[in-house]
Formats: sequence, structure tokens, C-alpha cells
Amino acid sequence: MVDPTAAGLIAIAAALAVGLTGIGAALGEQMIGSAAVGAMAEDEGFFGRGLVMTVIPESIVIFGLVVALILLFVTLPTI
Amino acid sequence: MFEPQAMTKVIVAGSKDYMGLAIDALHKHNVMHITDFVKEDDDFRIGKPYASASKLSERAISLRSIASYLSITGKEDTPSRYAEDAIADEIDEKTERLSFEVTQVTRNISDIDSRIKDINDKKRLLDPLKNFDLPLDLYGGYRSLAVFVGTAKWSPTISDITKDYELEIAPYMRGYAIAIFVPREFQDDVLKRLQEQGYSALSLPEMQGTPKDILADLDVQLIELQTEKETSREELSTLRERYIDYILASDEYLSIATQKAEAPLRFATTKNAFIIEGWIPTKNLEHVQRDVDSVTDGHVMVAIDESEAINAEKVPIALENPMPSEPFELLVKAFALPKYNEIDPTMFVALIYPFLFALMLGDIGYGAVIIGIGLVVQRRLKSKGIRDLARILVYAGVLSIVFGFIYNEFFGVALFGTGGLIPSFYAYPTIPRFENIATLLVVTLVIGILMLTLGYVLGFVNEYRQHGLKHAVLTKASWLLMLWGGVLVVIEILPPLTKAAAISISPALLAGFGLVVIGLVFLLGGEGIVGITELPTLLSNVLSYSRLLSIGVSSLGIALAVNRLSYALFIDKGGVWIIFGVLLLIIGHAVNTALGILDSGLQSLRLHYVEFFTKFYRGGGMKYKPFGLIRKYTEEQ
Repeated sequence: MVDPTAAGLIAIAAALAVGLTGIGAALGEQMIGSAAVGAMAEDEGFFGRGLVMTVIPESIVIFGLVVALILLFVTLPTI
Repeated sequence: MFEPQAMTKVIVAGSKDYMGLAIDALHKHNVMHITDFVKEDDDFRIGKPYASASKLSERAISLRSIASYLSITGKEDTPSRYAEDAIADEIDEKTERLSFEVTQVTRNISDIDSRIKDINDKKRLLDPLKNFDLPLDLYGGYRSLAVFVGTAKWSPTISDITKDYELEIAPYMRGYAIAIFVPREFQDDVLKRLQEQGYSALSLPEMQGTPKDILADLDVQLIELQTEKETSREELSTLRERYIDYILASDEYLSIATQKAEAPLRFATTKNAFIIEGWIPTKNLEHVQRDVDSVTDGHVMVAIDESEAINAEKVPIALENPMPSEPFELLVKAFALPKYNEIDPTMFVALIYPFLFALMLGDIGYGAVIIGIGLVVQRRLKSKGIRDLARILVYAGVLSIVFGFIYNEFFGVALFGTGGLIPSFYAYPTIPRFENIATLLVVTLVIGILMLTLGYVLGFVNEYRQHGLKHAVLTKASWLLMLWGGVLVVIEILPPLTKAAAISISPALLAGFGLVVIGLVFLLGGEGIVGITELPTLLSNVLSYSRLLSIGVSSLGIALAVNRLSYALFIDKGGVWIIFGVLLLIIGHAVNTALGILDSGLQSLRLHYVEFFTKFYRGGGMKYKPFGLIRKYTEEQ
């Protein structure tokens, strides 16, 4: 059985990993997204590239999510 | 299949006397992409449109105005097709007659509308007076009396100005309707009092009878007018029904005729000859050549233009893929059309996109639901883009079911094995996602490495064809070497690192470092220092594929939460609560399905656009627009 304090800390760490990266990605995508929509209004062909640019910051949430998953489900060997 | 359709540059040239015939033939084939002639000089001028062009557009305008009165959008289906010749013979007379009939009805309707508005105005003015029994003509025209008719918030006090007055008052809306008759000498004082009470005057229409009677009469008139309007509306819809086929067909006929009449604006002409430059798909070339030759009796020639080397930037692009993969062209086009000497990635997208989608969604229940959605959308909606998306959804749904069996998931619940819905049936090893996070994480990264490898290989082919072997090695093979060198290094280093053991120097590790160094040298030669700054993207690109796991697990997490909540909150209590529990299940899973489609769809698309396409695909080709029209409502004899 895992020490309850340790389990709690792990849960908090996982939450921080997802939550903070989510905020970061949202801030980035907000700016890029509005610019991309603006560009699309001028030229609809920009959709593909616009989407690419917009989702670039999103990787950071995915990394956060992966870190959270590893924290919660994968037991690392103690160093 | 892996390339855009082969195009041949052609020149169509001949005597102007045969230009019309040549245009007809080219239009019928609907394959030639005409390059507009723009640079006039002393010898060649831009052609003049046929004289019929302006008349044709005039007719088209009047026809379209009729169509808009009859709310015909041009997207309707008709059971039969009109013969083109039949339209050509009668279009003038018939359109004129139709226009006359339709205008008569629409004019009638707008006339009725204005009368209805008039009556409503009068009603609004008379409404406050409906409780006064005084006939309307007695509210004015006195020599010694001033009359105030209107509305006010409260009745004014007048008795201190004069006792000699007549007041009618009745509650109206939030205030009062008032009519005051006073001798003219007190007019100004009374008006002042009235204004203090927020008086607003009514300008009464000149009519006979008491307001009440007039209002009743107006109501009768109104009903009559509305019936009349309804009749006219019905007339209009009868007209629509009777003529819709004809209108659609003649609109198409006019579009075709206008296209043909204006075509010479895109040609180069001399005094007696014309020249059309353009592109024809190579597979259609011979057929067109033969046809134009026979129609014009050999007076117009379709010749292959080999005067200059083909400039890939200027070739129109038509994608050509086998039927099952065709809907994926939509995803490629949304990014960019390929250039002529570039690989068309549609086939790869067709193979990989549904796979990645399903890897994320991976649930038998959700898979079945989205197959259903896809099939319904395909049957109900007509827009080509949406139907393509629906077909993609069906493919993804089928694969999601396959992955659902592998993950053993059915709406977030285990289906087989102990604790599953069907515990007795357990014939194959499943990979439940929550229990295999670490393994699946490695699997997703391997998928990433393989997809990047494919990307660089395709990039190598593109570069080789566009710029030669040296460039291809320096800019693409270099990345490939670093990617695989990096993979070797990580495989050797990571396990000892997590175990805090010493790193032993193995041949594989050295080979890995070697590959990275060689790749780096190539890259420096190919892209210079700028290339080095791009290096970290290699790592983030591979790690980016971990979303295949995390998106999937989030969707599974939501499904689990829905199931547990509905069970713990409602179903467990039994009785009426079960209804709420089932309701929660339905709503929760519906929301999760929507999220699943949106998330898996977009994330899979992103892995293509950002991680995969950037390795080999630039795009920027020009769209192939053949001269012609696909007939829907008419047919040639």
C-alpha cells in the first residue's frame, strides 16, 4: 500500500501537470487562433495551414497529460 | 494514384470560322483547362465574345429573378432532363410569358401587403378610442372648440382653467386614452396641462362611424386580404411546381451558352485565326484530338505544346485516387493541393488517418454509433464535402470497433472476461488501456517514429525529383539518420537511466551516435545553422504521438465516470431512479461520442498536418478547372 501522503502528492502533481499546461496552451492558442481566423476570412485556402499553426501550442497539454498518466498509472522504480 | 493526374500542355489552333465548333467540342468533353491569354501584342489580340453573350446574360438575369421569386435555389433534383434543342427554340417566348405570370402574382402580393400595412396603421391609431362612443367625424372641424385626442399617463386637471369643457377618458395600455373638448381661448393652457401628463396626440384618419364599428370593419377587411394573399401564395407555388423543371433546365442551358459565348475572351486571336493554350489530362488527350478533328473537318488542330520545358508551378492539379480513398482528398485539399512534381499524399492519409482515429477512440460501442452517424449523414445530406467526411467517419468507426475488441471496451465497460458484460466468452488476449499505459505509450511513440520515417522517405523522393540526389540526401536523409541514431541512443540509455544503473558503452550506442553525427554533418551542408535550430522538433514530433494514448485514455475516463455516476447515483437505488440513471447514461455517452469524434478527428488530422506533412509536403498547386459544365437538368441530342 502506498503511503497516503505520497498518493495525495502524486494526485496533486498530476493535476498541476494537466491544469497548468492547459492554461499555457490556451493562452497560446487564443492568440494564434484569432489571427488564423482573421487570415481565413481573407483567404479560405488558409484553413489547413491555419489549423496547423493554431494547434502547435497544444502539444504542451498532451505532454502534461502524459506526465499525469505516468504519475498515476506507471510505477517508476525508486532511485 | 501517388501523383496528381498527368497533364499534357496543348495548343488548340485553327481558322476563326471553325472556332464555334471547336468551342462546342471542347465544352462537351469538359476536360481542357484553359490558360487565359493576357499579353496582347501587335500580332495577337484577346478574342471578342460572341454577340449573343450580352443577350444571353440578360435572359439569365430575368430567369434568375423569376427563380428567386419562386424560391428555386438551383440545388433541386428533377426526375427528367430537358432536351437542349427544345429549350433553345422556346426559351425567349416561354421566359417572357413566365415572367409575366409570375410578376402579376408577385405584384398582387406586394399590393395586398401594402394594403394590410395601411389597415394595421389605421387600427393602431383608432385602437385607443375603441371605448369612446363618439363618431370619428365629431373629433374635429369646430370653429370655437379645440379638440385634443391622444394618450397620456394621467388625466389632467382642467377645472381651474375652465368649467366649460367635455372630457372622455378610458384606461389604455399603461395610461389613458383622452379626448378633451374646450373653447379655443383655453387651448394653450389646456395643452400645457396635458403635456405635463406626457400627452401624445393622435392624428386621426378621416373616416365615418364610431371607432368601435370602424375597427370591426377593418378586421373583416384584414381577414379578407389575408385570404386573398394566401390564394396568391398558392398560385405562386403552383407556378413553381409547374415550371421548376423548365427553369432549372433553361438556367443551365443559359449558363452553358454564356460560357461558350464568352470563351473567346480567353483566347489569342489574329485576324483570321484563334489559338487556345491549356492543359488536358493525358489520358483524355487522344479522344479530344480525334473529336475536334472530326467535328471541324480538320480545320482546328489540338497539338501538344513542347516548345518549352514544363514548369511544375503552372500545371493545373487534378487528384486521382481509387474510389475508397477518394474522400480523403478533402483532407489533403484542406491543407493544400500538391504541386505537379510532388507526391499526392491522399493514399497515405487514407491508410493512416482512420487508423490513428480508431487507436484513440477504440471502443466497440462508440465505433458502432459513429458508423451509424456516418451512414445517416451520407444518406440525408447532399453536400459533397460533408458526405466525404461521413464516409471517413464510417471507415474510422469500423476500425474503432476493431480496436474496441483489442482494448476490450464497450462504452467504457469491459465486454469480455471476468467483470465484463459477457464473462463466459473470453477467447483472446485483450489489452485494457488503463492497465497497459506504459506499454501503449511506447507503442504510440513507435508509431510516431515510423510515421516520421515515412515522411522523410517521401520527402527524400520529392527532393530527389525536384532538386536531385545531393539535395535530397542533405536535407532529408540527414534527418532520417538523426532520427534513427537518436532512437538507438535512447534505447540504449533510457533503461539504465531509470534504474540508476551505469550506462555501458555498447556497439548499438556507438552506432547511434555515429548516425546522429553523420546526419548532423549532412544537415549543416544542406540547411546550415538554421537547420540545427530545428533539431529539437525531432524529439517533440515523436513525443507528440503520445497524444494517441492520452486522448484515448481521457475519452475512456469520461465514459467510466458516466457509467459509475449513473450506477452509484441512480441505478443502484432501483425503482423510478433507474429511468434517471439510463437518461444520464444516454446523455453522458452522447456527449462523449461528440467529444470523441471531434477530438480524435482533429488530433489525428493534426498528426498528419503538423508532424507528417511538414516532412515532405509543401503543396501550392493550381486547381484544375476544365472548360465545361456537368449537366444536371439538360441533355444534348
